[in-house]
Amino acid sequence: MAVLLQSVLSGVLIGGVYALIGVGLTLIFGVMRVINFAQGELVMVGMYCTFWVFVLLGVDPFLSVVVTMPALFLLGALLQRTLINRVLDALPQNQILLTIGIGLVLSNLAMLAFTSDYRILSTSYSSSSVGLGGIRLSTPLLYCFLITAAITAALYWFLVKTDVGHAIRATAQDRDAAQLMGVNVRHMGVLAFGLGAALAGAAGALVAPTYYIYPQVGSAFTLKAFVVVVLGGMGSIIGATLGGVLIGVAESLSGTYIGSGWKDLCVYAIFLLVLLLKPSGLLGKSRM
Amino acid sequence: MKTLIPLAMAVVVLALIPLWVESPYALHIFILLFIGIALGESWNVVGGFAGQYSVGHSAWYGIGAYGAFILLQKINLAPWFGVWVAVALSVLAALAVGFITFRLRGPYFVLASIAVAEIIRLLALNTKDLTNGAEGILSPDLPPLKLGGAVITDWNSKIPYFYMGLAMALFCIAVNFAVKRSKLGYYLQAIREDQDAAHSLGIPPTLSKNAALAISAACTALVGSFAAFYVGFIEPQQVFGIDVSIQMVLTAIIGGIGTVAGPVLGAVVLVLISEGLRTTIAQAHLLVYGILVIVVILVMPDGFLGFISQRLRRKAAVE
Repeated sequence: MAVLLQSVLSGVLIGGVYALIGVGLTLIFGVMRVINFAQGELVMVGMYCTFWVFVLLGVDPFLSVVVTMPALFLLGALLQRTLINRVLDALPQNQILLTIGIGLVLSNLAMLAFTSDYRILSTSYSSSSVGLGGIRLSTPLLYCFLITAAITAALYWFLVKTDVGHAIRATAQDRDAAQLMGVNVRHMGVLAFGLGAALAGAAGALVAPTYYIYPQVGSAFTLKAFVVVVLGGMGSIIGATLGGVLIGVAESLSGTYIGSGWKDLCVYAIFLLVLLLKPSGLLGKSRM
Repeated sequence: MKTLIPLAMAVVVLALIPLWVESPYALHIFILLFIGIALGESWNVVGGFAGQYSVGHSAWYGIGAYGAFILLQKINLAPWFGVWVAVALSVLAALAVGFITFRLRGPYFVLASIAVAEIIRLLALNTKDLTNGAEGILSPDLPPLKLGGAVITDWNSKIPYFYMGLAMALFCIAVNFAVKRSKLGYYLQAIREDQDAAHSLGIPPTLSKNAALAISAACTALVGSFAAFYVGFIEPQQVFGIDVSIQMVLTAIIGGIGTVAGPVLGAVVLVLISEGLRTTIAQAHLLVYGILVIVVILVMPDGFLGFISQRLRRKAAVE
């Protein structure tokens, strides 16, 4: 029983990060109908930012979110302005290929700059854990989850309560109608991509103390983010949050009860099942 | 006829190359080129003609590679029989997968194709008894190829691989020609343009797409096992990894998707770039691939071939 509870809780903690990456992906998809295959590479950039800020300036990885989020926001906005903007009306396949190209460029630039060595960011609390009535939770993952929850809450507040947030959601609901209402949909695209990238960057900063950091780490995150987003329903932010936690738990349970080599396989199998049985996801409207 | 004569001349020239080129490195480049052409053409059947952008073709490539290797290693089945068993396995797997994933469209299909390839990669990684897991399999010594008692080749030089690669590339090009001109080819192109309209005209979309995938997977598996024996070593990430799939897609996109000549041009461009860079920035040839795909999508979405023919047409119109 303790083992079950332990793995469910660990799953929820890591699921928070998946949710963060997925929310970024779904935000970009919602506003621009572009599936960003470079989302994981943006996480990778966030991890390296955090790593170097830690090594050179000694800033704690969890505090460095304050640096990585704006940096990734700028990178995302720049990518949107210069590249993504030009394919908004192109075939979805071409949009996907463009973002795959961006991902290849990012991961290979990282390889040129930082070599393909695996790097480890070790802090004083990296391997410590917190006891909670017979269950032990890893301290960095716990911090990571708390910050994730705070960022997600802030994002909800921004989208629901502010005017800009309203404009973003309006653009996602109906691009043409939003434009007729005076929303500058081009700006919303830049903003959405910047926000999506900033969320990926935050996720990168938060997992930096627990994951190996290397140039190809992104593709695993990209795939997981797709699973999360499709499970929750493409374009649904609440869905992506829920999907992230569910996938985290599914991964953790299959890792505990089937074997750690099989956990990703279980996640992709769930993904295929969702695509086949309910492609609109748990909370999405059908767009098939 | 007009295209056949220069094509035949090109083939004759290529076939004569090993007679005066002795450098193994030059032959190696040609073999890589043949592999690239064959892969691009294989993907083109389902990605180009049918418009189904699979980013999971490494699955069929890897089944071809692992199938032939395991058959040789475990039951000592010679490659020139084992390859066909591996091809058949790959087609069966592809039909099963196609039956499921072709219900999905657009980006959903792309995502499903990636997931399938990842599942197969993880299976290969985890079934250690069969595949030796992440350590991979080193090719056993190949039995010499004999015909009526006479040894044709003992596989110790690159020349047999050169001719087999050439034959394979030509075969894949011929398959593309045949598909493009067949009824299936017209069905596929109709489905690519508008699946619902095609369906309402009586074209069976799922059946046609599955037929295209079966052809494509068979060719891809053939190339996969050839490439595996040429390299002599396989491991899950190398043959099932997403890089293989992306390379296949890029070959077709860069040259010109949905055309028979496009993947040939794309393979020439990609092989020249990656070999040209190997001496300067060894590992980062994928960086240039990335830049290339961005440029192609933004500037010439119909690939080099479409770009060139558009320029020629414009020039002709001006004159």
